[in-house]
Amino acid sequence: MFGGYSSKKKVIERYKIIGFISSGTYGRVYKAQGKHGQVGEFAIKKFKPDKEGEIQYTGISQSAIREMALCTELSHPNVVHTVEIILEDKCIYIVFEYAEHDLLQIIHHHNQVTRQAIPARTIKSILYQLLQGLVYLHKNWVMHRDLKPANIMVTSAGKVKIGDLGLARLFYKPLHSLFTGDKVVVTIWYRAPELLLGSRHYTPAVDLWAVGCIFAELLSLRPIFKGEEAKMDSKKTVPFQRNQMQRIVEILGMPTKERWPLLASMPEYPHLNSLASGNPRIHRPVSLEKWYEQNLRNNRYPEGQSKDSPGAEGLSLLQALLEYDPQKRLTAEKALSHPYFSAHDERLKPSDNCFEGSSIEYPNRRVSQEDNDIRTSSLPGTKRSGLPDDSIIGRPAKRLKEG
Amino acid sequence: MAASYWDSTQRKYWTFTKQQLSVERRKLEEAERALVLQFPLPDRRLLSIYFYHQLAKLARPLGVRQQALATAQVYVRRFYTKVEIRKTNPTLVLATALYLACKMEECPQHIRIISAETRHCWDMPLNDTSKIGECEFTLISEMNSQLIIHHPYRSLHELQAQFQLTQEENSLAWSIINDHYLTDLPLLYAPHVIAITAMFLAVVLKPAQGGPQLHAAGVATALQTLGNTRQTTAPGAQNRIQKLVNWLAESSVDIEAVVDCTQELISLYEIWELFTDKNCKDQIAKFVKARGLDK
Ligand SMILES: Nc1ncnc2c1ncn2[C@@H]1O[C@H](COP(=O)(O)OP(=O)(O)O)[C@@H](O)[C@H]1O
Repeated sequence: MFGGYSSKKKVIERYKIIGFISSGTYGRVYKAQGKHGQVGEFAIKKFKPDKEGEIQYTGISQSAIREMALCTELSHPNVVHTVEIILEDKCIYIVFEYAEHDLLQIIHHHNQVTRQAIPARTIKSILYQLLQGLVYLHKNWVMHRDLKPANIMVTSAGKVKIGDLGLARLFYKPLHSLFTGDKVVVTIWYRAPELLLGSRHYTPAVDLWAVGCIFAELLSLRPIFKGEEAKMDSKKTVPFQRNQMQRIVEILGMPTKERWPLLASMPEYPHLNSLASGNPRIHRPVSLEKWYEQNLRNNRYPEGQSKDSPGAEGLSLLQALLEYDPQKRLTAEKALSHPYFSAHDERLKPSDNCFEGSSIEYPNRRVSQEDNDIRTSSLPGTKRSGLPDDSIIGRPAKRLKEG
Repeated sequence: MAASYWDSTQRKYWTFTKQQLSVERRKLEEAERALVLQFPLPDRRLLSIYFYHQLAKLARPLGVRQQALATAQVYVRRFYTKVEIRKTNPTLVLATALYLACKMEECPQHIRIISAETRHCWDMPLNDTSKIGECEFTLISEMNSQLIIHHPYRSLHELQAQFQLTQEENSLAWSIINDHYLTDLPLLYAPHVIAITAMFLAVVLKPAQGGPQLHAAGVATALQTLGNTRQTTAPGAQNRIQKLVNWLAESSVDIEAVVDCTQELISLYEIWELFTDKNCKDQIAKFVKARGLDK
């Protein structure tokens, strides 16, 4: 078409690349500054064509399309802001506002470097901001589906921003179930029990389970349910994530039909009973109360209620988030009005700067100088989670041969 | 329909007044005066009907959902408010719009399947998948990555429950919504206004009158009924139409907008009589061939 596609905007004309941040599942992320007086710093996510060194256009993957569309559409103080999207030279560049930290790095700093708990006030503010971002997403019919510490960004001003909408989806869309297309969703440690049990009708509640896991991890500095992922077999059937489910049951106890009425209708329900055999810990679960008590003690949060401890209200919130039955699990909106957030705070609301009142210095994000040429970088980016993005559904492959 | 439409890029960047729309289009045409004079084209609505037929031919054997087809139509319409049609290969734009829409509407088709299917369904096939891939960049870039489309179908679904529409009324309303993509209405009004118009027409017209295409005359009668709403609310509503009229009058719905939508539909149904596939196809082929846009 009229002399082919040519970009109106050029990345290197608009941005000076300061360094390379990370190589993800889709491509690479760079740190950048504006060349034309744009305020602040930027993180530029570059999506590569599926095949290395592709010289032809092959069509953009569905997940990249989703991410571009959602990033353009959404705007909220607790969702990473998208500055612009540039399509150039068969690559897609999404330019985000830069965030100096993320929860993975903050947790790591406490666990490995200072060996001290994260201040209770910091945790409260992080959760409060995270939930506000989530209320916004859910109100706009967006499920994130991949919440985990690495995807929760924190700016140097202590603002929490939900990032990586690569797996996010609009949930009013599906006429066929959300389950088709991409089968594997959400990093396994944060995966909700209904997904582990093969639910086809999952809901925004999966994000709230992940928030529960993140809350627990902020308190204990370790993933609460650290299972081992069962890999897909050669037939590409999705295996039952036995080990992950086991980890959950060891703490929370077996889910019951009394507490979760639809339990027995879960496709993987028959597997559940077999979990118990040969695993005594399943019969004597720790219970979330015990887990909470122990971890608060280990991390030296003062006993009793105070602003320096998450206290009994923290446990109550955690229980409501790590609720087996997705229908009973707290919604993001309800979670925000949980007493945990109003207790011990004269202003009745947690700060919107999660570092307020804390003197801890977190290291800056590591930026490498190697391979920081955004245009020619050569390390391969693997495709996201191996999902069949452009999967051929419900269509005989016959036509392909004919064509 | 939830907060999302009100903050949407559709409302902010892709909803125009009629004046704005015609200014934009005049700008495009004036920039390419010679081209426009050299290659006259049929009325935009006739072209839209042609595009729709082409898209449907491609979509049907692939089992593409109606909503994806609708999204593709909106993409094409948006694109041609930014790019003069005579500078493009419409066949390529159509195939690409459908390919992109299928991904956005969660019913993805492989790029090779789309391209192979054009060979079966169209007599101006596309042989090169990379052309579709490239055109995808152009489309997305012209639309500023604003790809999420709010359709009236969802609002209709809510209205159906509220007004207990019969099966016939509902499917007539649904087909009126399908028809509105042949006009500029998707660029002019919010989806719920379109849905209300469609529901109103469906109830007033009675399914018997709606054939494959509604008659302009029937819609004109409906318009009269609608005109009455603007005067008074009749007390003691007797029938469903009256109830609907009263509801419209009392609600915050912009009746002028509903009237205008109805008029747009009338003139669509009027001009539809003039449609021939061949005419559109030939006129398009002229500039595509002359300028080598299919190469
Ligand atoms: N806005 C940002 N500011 C700073 N670093 C970022 C930003 N967005 C992403 N990153 C970095 O890039 C990494 C990968 O980005 P992400 O969007 O999470 O991709 P993936 O799809 O691979 O999870 C993140 O873990 C983080 O280190």
